Amino acid sequence: MRPQVILHSFGYLTQAAGVTLALSLAGILLGFLVGSAVCVARVSPRPWASWLGGVYVSVFRGVPLLVLLLFIYYFLAEFGLDVPAVAAAVGGLALSSGAYQSEILRGALNATPKGQAEAAVALGFATSDIWRRILLPQAFRLSIPPLINEFILLLKASSLVSVVGIAELTRVSMNIASLTYRPLEAYVGGGLFYLAINLGLAAVGAYAEKRLATGAAR
Amino acid sequence: MNTIGTIELTRRDALKASLAAAAAAGGLLGASRAAFADDTLADIKKRGELVIATEMQFPPFDIADNGTYKGVDRDLIDAVGKELGVKVKYIDLPWTSILPGLDAKKFDLCIAPVTITKERMKRYRFTVPIADATAALMKRADDKSIAKPEDIAGKTVGGQKGTSQLEQLKLFSAKLPKPVEIKEYVDNNQSYADLAAGRIDAAVNSLPNLAYAASQRSDAFAVVLPAFGQPTYFSWVGRLDDATLIDAVNAALIKLESDGTMAKIQKTWFGQTMDLPKTVPEPAI
Repeated sequence: MRPQVILHSFGYLTQAAGVTLALSLAGILLGFLVGSAVCVARVSPRPWASWLGGVYVSVFRGVPLLVLLLFIYYFLAEFGLDVPAVAAAVGGLALSSGAYQSEILRGALNATPKGQAEAAVALGFATSDIWRRILLPQAFRLSIPPLINEFILLLKASSLVSVVGIAELTRVSMNIASLTYRPLEAYVGGGLFYLAINLGLAAVGAYAEKRLATGAAR
Repeated sequence: MNTIGTIELTRRDALKASLAAAAAAGGLLGASRAAFADDTLADIKKRGELVIATEMQFPPFDIADNGTYKGVDRDLIDAVGKELGVKVKYIDLPWTSILPGLDAKKFDLCIAPVTITKERMKRYRFTVPIADATAALMKRADDKSIAKPEDIAGKTVGGQKGTSQLEQLKLFSAKLPKPVEIKEYVDNNQSYADLAAGRIDAAVNSLPNLAYAASQRSDAFAVVLPAFGQPTYFSWVGRLDDATLIDAVNAALIKLESDGTMAKIQKTWFGQTMDLPKTVPEPAI
């Protein structure tokens, strides 16, 4: 073990960690939009909308991210649709994560007691207020732990975007391993960066949970 | 009663949903550019840029040193670009993505060194050789039991799956008094790591790759000389129908060989010069 290898490549690893973080955050945020839309479709009383939502979840949760990325980047090009590498990476992450996030949101929505909405209707609340003040805040609070979980999983899964030619953290660790012929040091270096980023994400999640805790706990 | 709320939500969020869908689609379709013209060479000259792809994990040919692309291929393709009067853009792709990417026209030329084989010649168009690819062996520096290639009889040897060097090892093994136990790896770096860890007794690869690895980690590795395989060569590959591009690259490579640029690059990275055929050789395997 030669820690100098990690120190020598520290700048390179930091830069790659930045790429990993940026792509993952973009994928998470876009995935949240996609997930919200799909969740709304799934809980919709219109059969076609909930059917479409269900199909989306089945497809994008069922296809491995690696295959999805290869499909977007290489297969669409066969039809003259040249997707740039960054768009393919973020799009793949968002489409895949959207499927998982929609189920997390749906689960949280289902966990909010139906009786509350019924009581609010009986008390004369406007429908928009029922969602804005009663259902969504509770659902959002319930969904934080699984969402943070999903974010961490997505960040680690983002190592797959190297197949479209993006030098993210895992790829760069491999580059360093092949250059220095010291794989142990290179992968320990990359692993430490992942750990640091994910600890940060977990801390953000813990803070959000604490801030949004119910009145009694505050 | 609750349905009222749900319907309301559906309508309001239909807008949100369509926005999200549009955003996703925009990300996907963005910067969609027209497909490459029929003649790739003319297209490259018009763009003023030759786009190449390689895997920057194949020292001394392709290295990403703290993010900077270096190596034999980098020096050669820069010189070729100068001959063609165009800039060169480099893409780093895992080996498994390179040939699909070439087919999908994501770039013009693959400059990851590819060993010329009969099977591959049916699918791709090869340039003239850029380096020797003859298979050789590397052992642990302190291993006294291997002095010549034949000494690997009965031992365990590792190599990268799908490479012609591994095929050459299989042919060589069949001729030994005791066959070699062969371990296949996803890439050579893992086989080197297992060699250092003592799980295998030798690693097979092309002589230039091994010579470079051994020079970088002389504390751990040593090359077993001479190379055991039949003479084979590394070339770059393009699409089968890009004859004009490959011809132009070949002309540039031959010029680099005659004006001494090639020898200078070889000296830098291999520590010695080597003679290369001026035409695409008939593959032995």
